[in-house]
Amino acid sequence: MLKYSLKRLLHSLVTLFIILTLVFLLMRLLPVEGYYGERADKLTPAQKEAILRKMGLLDPWYVQLRNFYLQLFRGDLGVSVTYRANVPIKEILAAKIPYSFAFGVAALVLSLVVGLAMGIHMAQTKGLFWDKLWTTYVVFVNAVPGAVYLLFIQLYGTSVTRLPMLFDRYNVLSWILPLISMSLGGIAGNAMWLRRFMVDELNKDYIRLARAKGMSSRAIMVKHVLRNAFVPLAQYLPASVLFTISGSIYVESLYSIPGMGGLLVTAISRQDNPLVQALVLIYSSLGIFGLFLGDILMAILDPRIRLERQGGAR
Amino acid sequence: MSEPVLSARDVVIKFRLRGQTLTAIRGASLDLYEGESVAIVGESGSGKSVFTKSWIGMLDANGWVDSGSILFEGKDLARYKTEEEWLTIRGKKIAMVFQDPMTALNPLRTVGMQIQETLELHQGLRGGEAKRRTIEILAQVGISEPEMRYRQYPHEFSGGMRQRVVIAIAIACNPRILICDEPTTSLDVTIQAQILELIRRLQKELKVTLVYITHDLGVVANVADRVAVMYAGEIIEYGTVEEIFYDARHPYTWALLSSLPQLGIKGQPLYSIRGTPPNLFNEIHGDAFAPRNPQALKIDFVKRPPFFQVSPTHYAKTWLLDPRAPKVEPPEIVKAMRARYERYAV
Repeated sequence: MLKYSLKRLLHSLVTLFIILTLVFLLMRLLPVEGYYGERADKLTPAQKEAILRKMGLLDPWYVQLRNFYLQLFRGDLGVSVTYRANVPIKEILAAKIPYSFAFGVAALVLSLVVGLAMGIHMAQTKGLFWDKLWTTYVVFVNAVPGAVYLLFIQLYGTSVTRLPMLFDRYNVLSWILPLISMSLGGIAGNAMWLRRFMVDELNKDYIRLARAKGMSSRAIMVKHVLRNAFVPLAQYLPASVLFTISGSIYVESLYSIPGMGGLLVTAISRQDNPLVQALVLIYSSLGIFGLFLGDILMAILDPRIRLERQGGAR
Repeated sequence: MSEPVLSARDVVIKFRLRGQTLTAIRGASLDLYEGESVAIVGESGSGKSVFTKSWIGMLDANGWVDSGSILFEGKDLARYKTEEEWLTIRGKKIAMVFQDPMTALNPLRTVGMQIQETLELHQGLRGGEAKRRTIEILAQVGISEPEMRYRQYPHEFSGGMRQRVVIAIAIACNPRILICDEPTTSLDVTIQAQILELIRRLQKELKVTLVYITHDLGVVANVADRVAVMYAGEIIEYGTVEEIFYDARHPYTWALLSSLPQLGIKGQPLYSIRGTPPNLFNEIHGDAFAPRNPQALKIDFVKRPPFFQVSPTHYAKTWLLDPRAPKVEPPEIVKAMRARYERYAV
């Protein structure tokens, strides 16, 4: 188990290194004009060079890369260049992460509780009315672009129920609509996958044996089906927990929530390299770490993986 | 003979499939007596499994017992509808072992827990007591180092070992009837023999009534006291092992016996029964086997034969036993088997 975890951790670190390096190098391929901001026309060539030199962009690429990693290992994410000039990136993020995180966790809990309950209900009523009704919902959420129905939720949600249109952190009521909007997709996903895994399990032979043993349907559902169906689902749970920190770009901008969503787009369009780099670091480590935790969780739940001699073979 | 443990009478089982109704069991009757071992033989689709599954209420959701009765301990199981009713029987009074042991156990729970579950369910044993009993049962089905095996998962067991565990689950609560539905079909031959021996030993030790479903006549001779032959959803002949092997009366039983590979006879092509079993979606008139029987009588296509008694323990559903029927000789292979039997056995 320890060997398996260490091996997986090593894989994760290598992946992270590759992503960071690639993004760093790709950023260097961008045209330099972006770095001068609005003043570009007024600057003399000498001034332009001075700016590039100050940003370290005139060094050979491997020196730049080395400097970047040295800085990173000291725990320094650098300062923003164009988004908010010379403000430390940690400071920018520290102000935004709490909002995204709070919304993310709340949305996650909601989508887990409602989504899993819905999935169980669907599996139990497979092929009947309720299953079809919830399936319609799942298909709708997956097929219709979020931009369409989220807009309608905001429009009718605020006009019919008189809930506030914009986010106000001192007003609990203003949390309701963004929270629902953020959860709809997660609920649909959780419900769909849990239903699928449960139906898979229900068709297996060991369920027949459990019935022949004289277990009640309810006991079989809880002790055998749900537990086994939860294993494949568990693999993706940590990743979705961690991704909640990154926030929802669209919903945050709809309700003017000062979260982290959307920051990456802004940073890239304004060529704020250090900020982009920092965000890529956060996003990719969250994703990779999430998958790593998923693998570990899966190994804890499934004895067949735990005892596999070639731990990282999958 | 004494009172039967279970008495199934004229059981009709139907399934609804794509808007059509299929009659899988067309009036099957069978009595089981205390401590005996009965084999039910027949080809795939003859209804062997469905018939026995109806005794523990495990028909698929689209199937139901349409008529007939299944008397067990003074109750008619054919009338059982709710899960609560069935839970008083399943696993407790009548247990079942299925065909494929590789997939029959939950891969995520320890073997011990899966046996213990049954004990806790039906015998109210708890904790250490339940564990001790589980380890005893593991040892009883021939698993060595039961304490260590108790904690292991199914993937650490071979196919034969898993079937032993499945059998352990079935016998955990000392059921009165143990149904084994082709328990050795998916195992290799040496393991088959071991499992057969285990089942026979347990049957004697526990004095349980054994119902053994198979399409392998070789196994039948090994395991059963009595044999019931099934065809197209009804039992067409039953008798003791000797009576069925050496004095069969139904043309279908003859055909089955003829298709057994004969040891010591070279150069003969293997016999196979022509045609296919009837379509159970259609109503069947007369003897269901008549269309495949080259020696079928006219009445076989018109009227369903009743059971004719051959001996107090041997009955067959064929018009050939009617006193008015012409004399029809069994096939050569069957006659040869009978001749050999008479020469050696008597």
